[in-house]
Amino acid sequence: MSTTLQTPAALVGYAALDLRRQVRDRVQMFFVVALPAFMYVVFGLGSDDPVGSGNVAMYVMISMASYGAVTATTGVAGSAAVERTTGWGRQLALTPLRPLSFIALKTGLAMAVAAVPVALIYAIGAATSASGTTSDWLLSGVIVWAGSALFAVYGLAVCLAFRSDNSVGIASGLIVIMAFLGNVFTPMSGLILDIGRFTPLYGYAALARYPLTEGWTPVDTHDPLWLPVANVLAWTVIFAGVALWGLRRGQERV
Amino acid sequence: MSTPAPAAAIRATGLTKSFRLPDGASVTAVDAVDLTVAPGEIVAFLGPNGAGKTTTVDMLLGLTSPSAGTVEVYGEAPGRAVAAGRVSAVMQTGGLLPDFTVLETVQAIAVLHGRRDRVTEVVERAGLGPIARRRVQACSGGEQQRLKFALALVPDPDLIVLDEPTTGMDVGSRQAFWETMRADASSGRTIVFATHYLAEADEFAARTVLMKGGRIVADGPTADVRAAFGGRTVSFRPPAAVVHRDGVDPAWLARVEQALAPLGVTDVELSSASLEAAFLALTSPDAGPGTGISTDDLAGASR
Repeated sequence: MSTTLQTPAALVGYAALDLRRQVRDRVQMFFVVALPAFMYVVFGLGSDDPVGSGNVAMYVMISMASYGAVTATTGVAGSAAVERTTGWGRQLALTPLRPLSFIALKTGLAMAVAAVPVALIYAIGAATSASGTTSDWLLSGVIVWAGSALFAVYGLAVCLAFRSDNSVGIASGLIVIMAFLGNVFTPMSGLILDIGRFTPLYGYAALARYPLTEGWTPVDTHDPLWLPVANVLAWTVIFAGVALWGLRRGQERV
Repeated sequence: MSTPAPAAAIRATGLTKSFRLPDGASVTAVDAVDLTVAPGEIVAFLGPNGAGKTTTVDMLLGLTSPSAGTVEVYGEAPGRAVAAGRVSAVMQTGGLLPDFTVLETVQAIAVLHGRRDRVTEVVERAGLGPIARRRVQACSGGEQQRLKFALALVPDPDLIVLDEPTTGMDVGSRQAFWETMRADASSGRTIVFATHYLAEADEFAARTVLMKGGRIVADGPTADVRAAFGGRTVSFRPPAAVVHRDGVDPAWLARVEQALAPLGVTDVELSSASLEAAFLALTSPDAGPGTGISTDDLAGASR
């Protein structure tokens, strides 16, 4: 047994166990799945007023799905960072698992968990009154799901920077505030909206709704496409920078 | 276990590790340690806190790289030997995920080693069967320690490194643990352990390495280390007739002192057997209430 190659079977086997553990976490699943689904039902269900190429229900559905997806990736990535920096990381260091495989594994896991609220809320939307063109459905779904990866980087950054047991809670709590500022929960206007445009969730959610709204907000202001794109790119750089800084800081301390 | 390699289980030469403190000063935790452990040896690592035991263990496992010197495990770099499953460890600083069950924890590590086939055996060896479905967060410190031990057994390593392996275990589990290790050792596994319980080293390790201030200050057969630095103790068992519940008959003791005096023996001291023996006698399942202690146990060898 002198050569060791990490077999895909080993990674998949570990990911399956880890996925089961995450999905069993009732508190996490409440915020990832139940809360956004509930909010869609409360705010979106039956709202048939037109928005862009669809209706308000569709608009709320996309917003809530993005909140769920983002909470999922933040939680999974954040707890991955905590696992890594606490004793379990040392336990894993005594297996053939390499750090890069660990990152790949957790990224896959975060995206798998994020797919749960997107699929569920879109299914509820489809079964009720959300309406939009086929490309609205497909494009927004893909953007919500894929874009939530940005918040995996965010979760990593916060947890590597704070390095305490409750840093996952801090990261998820901040998501709620950023969701308000980012125009995800209720339509903002005036000064709050002007400030909100610079916050991390604004660009991502606006981009996800772009196929539907083509940039119009509920208060009849208009964002050109470059604005949410620039927002997402800028925050990607910032989060990645903080994560790298946190990682390096951790290595020095060893 | 694979066939014994000709290479030493551990070969460290000039092994050194210094840390830089936040204020710029540097501390040498391990200072030019030379150490060779042959396959199949059982070696105890002793020393006060801060002696460099854990740092040495970390370097043996490839978790920390040495500042100077080299260390090889079965002729390979530690990291490679770990990845190949030839070395594993129960680490003082190793942690578990609180929301896995005991069984899932073992499965997770086993699947990464590609050794799913070992799960059942390892759970049984570590005595985890009855608590396999329990969440880790609901396990006591001793149970978690046994779980870490199970994880260390997963790759069926040639060398197992144990850093304070029995912390948090009650006396009974501690004895059961060493019983298991003894069986392992006789089947050829190399065992290196650090402990605070000196009695464990005394009983279990054929060889003792004493560390202090990052250096090895004594290295040899445990009995020799004890003899050379700890002096000698002669112990004997008094006849049952003079041992009562409240101690050994003082008149008889006076006669012993008298008898020994011509031989130059002074300071005859009376000690009962260890509290550990008393604890076991009183709490073992077959001990009757109130009459648990047999006089023989209590009057046993003093050390």
